[in-house]
Amino acid sequence: MNAFAARESPIVMLLRLLRLILAFTLIISASPSFEAMAQALGQGSAGLITDQQKVIQGLTAKTDGLEKKLQQDGQDDASLVDIRLQLEDLSRAALTSALAFRSRLTDINNRIEVLGPPPAAGQPQEPDIVTGERQALASEKAEINAVVASAQNLSIRISGLIDRIGNMRSEQFRNFLTKHYALSDALSPQVFSDAQDEYANFYKAVSSWLSFAFKFKFKAILAATFTSLALAAILLVGGRRLFGRIFEADPSVEDPTYLSRLSVAFWSTLLPTLAVGAFLVSTVFLYNYYNVLRGDIGVFLNALAAVIAVVFCVNRLTNAALEPRMPNWRLIQVETGPARWLVRLTTAMAVVIGVNNFLSIVNDKMGSPLSLTIARSFVATLIVGVILILMALLRPYKGTDGSWRPWPAWLRYTSVALGLSTITAALFGYIGLAIFVSLQVVVTGTILVTAYIGFLSAREIGEEGGFAGTSIGRWLSTNAGYEDTALDQLGLVVSVAINLMIVLVFLPLILFMWGFQPGDIQAWAYKLATGITIGSVTISVTGILSGIVVFIIGYFLTRWFQGWLDGSVMARGKVDTGVRNSIRLAVGYAGVAVAGLVGISAAGIDLSNLALVAGALSLGIGFGLQNVVSNFVSGLILLAERPFKVGDWIVAGDTSGTVKKISVRATEIETFQRQSVILPNSNLINNAVGNWTHRNKLGRVEIKVGVAYGSDVKRVHAILVEIARGHPLVLKNPEPFVLFTNFGAAALEFEIRVFLADVLNGAIVQNDIRFAVLDAFGAEHIEIPSTPRAEVKVKQTEAWPLDDDKIEVEFAEKEQAEAEAAAEKARLAKSGRKARKPDPS
Amino acid sequence: MWKSLVVAIALTAASGSAFAASAVNKDAETRTLIVTEGGGKTELALAAGETVEFCPNGCFVTLPNGDLEALTGSETVEISGGVARIK
Repeated sequence: MNAFAARESPIVMLLRLLRLILAFTLIISASPSFEAMAQALGQGSAGLITDQQKVIQGLTAKTDGLEKKLQQDGQDDASLVDIRLQLEDLSRAALTSALAFRSRLTDINNRIEVLGPPPAAGQPQEPDIVTGERQALASEKAEINAVVASAQNLSIRISGLIDRIGNMRSEQFRNFLTKHYALSDALSPQVFSDAQDEYANFYKAVSSWLSFAFKFKFKAILAATFTSLALAAILLVGGRRLFGRIFEADPSVEDPTYLSRLSVAFWSTLLPTLAVGAFLVSTVFLYNYYNVLRGDIGVFLNALAAVIAVVFCVNRLTNAALEPRMPNWRLIQVETGPARWLVRLTTAMAVVIGVNNFLSIVNDKMGSPLSLTIARSFVATLIVGVILILMALLRPYKGTDGSWRPWPAWLRYTSVALGLSTITAALFGYIGLAIFVSLQVVVTGTILVTAYIGFLSAREIGEEGGFAGTSIGRWLSTNAGYEDTALDQLGLVVSVAINLMIVLVFLPLILFMWGFQPGDIQAWAYKLATGITIGSVTISVTGILSGIVVFIIGYFLTRWFQGWLDGSVMARGKVDTGVRNSIRLAVGYAGVAVAGLVGISAAGIDLSNLALVAGALSLGIGFGLQNVVSNFVSGLILLAERPFKVGDWIVAGDTSGTVKKISVRATEIETFQRQSVILPNSNLINNAVGNWTHRNKLGRVEIKVGVAYGSDVKRVHAILVEIARGHPLVLKNPEPFVLFTNFGAAALEFEIRVFLADVLNGAIVQNDIRFAVLDAFGAEHIEIPSTPRAEVKVKQTEAWPLDDDKIEVEFAEKEQAEAEAAAEKARLAKSGRKARKPDPS
Repeated sequence: MWKSLVVAIALTAASGSAFAASAVNKDAETRTLIVTEGGGKTELALAAGETVEFCPNGCFVTLPNGDLEALTGSETVEISGGVARIK
């Protein structure tokens, strides 16, 4: 017993665990209504009402607090977004609290319904107790409605606040871009002394921190730095080990493929940047952990880390794309000198922007005068503008005649325009705009270039044979035995996936750069997933996706059911192939139609709207698609009536051949010349169709024979009957019959009529019988008369000069013929086709 | 290969599915619901026999008998005989 229990226990435990999980999921999924129900049942309505009143009061108080905060922190974008997220939470909470009344309201309504309407004037009075209860219920309902209404008002108010936040944020952004600063103040000599003071302050802060750190936290600093370094080294070395060959450009390769150049560029940007990022993040984290940072130093260090990361990334990317040292591996085919200059200029630009950002944070924290900020931004934007113009003026290409050629016009003009606009904006005092533009040029430009490289590699992988050339493709083809076509399809899927990933990763990045906050993107994603309502139509990504998924599942279920019905049930039940085919097709069409309908309704598309459109168009469609519909209905009739099945030899009008496939619109017939004829089904229904092999393959074949006048007709008859009977394929019953048909103009005409079990053998039998007739008549000296034949003069070929040569040539010809025959045989065997019988007609 | 692709798509799509609330009018005459969604109130007129999807993110709705109810966005409001029931 114990042993049994012990053996059972894992299963029992598993079951328990499953039950636990199930219960847990149920509780989680049903939690709001659970709460509501418990409250409604446990405390009665009065308690519920006061509870929810309190909840809503609390929410209102919080909303008041947030509104106040909104007025105070109205200038800070991040806190605005934070307030908005909190408001959205409050709105949801208000809704939940209103939900608590649902079951109580349902109860009250049910009770009122049971009590019935109050008696009209003239009807007998109802008992007082009923009137009292109705009044009590009505007043309770009124109270509940009042509480829900307060929740509703709160939610409306919150929506208003959220709208206001949106307006405030766009207003702020506009102000930032269009704010005008007086440059005359900023560029006075006063700035230099301000800068000196500021530098002194900064130096003091940093040096005091440094001396503190070295005195008290030296070991911690060492430990933190080494740990971060080790982490970065592991990432770099591990990545190098893992991606070794595709990570580094190999200078010995003469002509690397575009794809390998792309992947080298991508990975040699990504991996080192990741390593540096990991180093910086872990350093900052560990310093924080060991309490090394003090005062504002943490903020400075964060800013410094961000600057280093951005500059490093930009430098790696330009180096990877332009490869000044290895022209073979260059992605953009510029000359070596300009490539070197481009790398320098972009790095310089990143450094300027990064330093400017770092200084702006220092200025913020040190509370330095506005003039200093303006002067710093002014200088930075001027430098960026000049660098942009310099880049545009660079002549990166060499023409065939050796002269230097500029960038394409659009790139040149865009770059010059950006540079000029930055400089002009700065000169006119629109520092905010200038800083915004130059920051966007560097950061958005970097992101866009990386995304573009990704897009290019996706396109390259999607090309025919592109994926098979990658290392993954080669690995798959050798280890998993993938065919080339499968690899191509896989490549297509991979390229689509890469494109999707790029959009998913880089679009939010660019949005961040353009001043959107994570909360915005979260809200958008939520809206996109749950549906955007345009007029009365709601489009939701999840809806459409679930529709597609439902359709696909339905489709595969249908296919599986079809296969199971056909392969297991009907094959085992010895059902006729024609019936099997019909049932399989009908099940398939019905299943796909149902899957489509269910999928469309799962996607949230209202079918009743479609019905309206279909009704309006049905007249036109009825006329326009008359033929198609008639063929469709005929196809259904063919499937039900089954006048012929696949493999039958039918004759329809001028077409005679084997039925290959019966579809809903048309039937495919293969003639004996192997021509595929597509016959519309209505032809097969409306006209006579002959079927040689309808119930059985029995059929009659006739062979006409003529003998000369004067022959012994009795003997001829006997010979013909004997030949017909003697053939093994000819049926004994019905008996073969020889008919003396006619006294013809030139001959006495006979006809041999034989029945065959399989009419498809007709050609063989006719052949055999004709040969046999000719042989027998020759032996019996019976003449077959004929109209005068064309006279053929047999030409005597000249004798060969040497008999040995002739024999040799004949032998060679014979050898060749044998070889050809063997090859033909081998080919037939290889293609898996059996040598076919001759066609019956 | 297509099968594995289909499985992948199904798995990605299976995570998270939110649908709008729907309202069905089973009466022979037009009924009106007042929906408070976002910052504004809208009247949702349901013709006889009509089904309408609305309120994907939660809303308040005033039923024909004057009751005010909150919806999370997954319910079905069924109106028959002038009385609305939430399921």
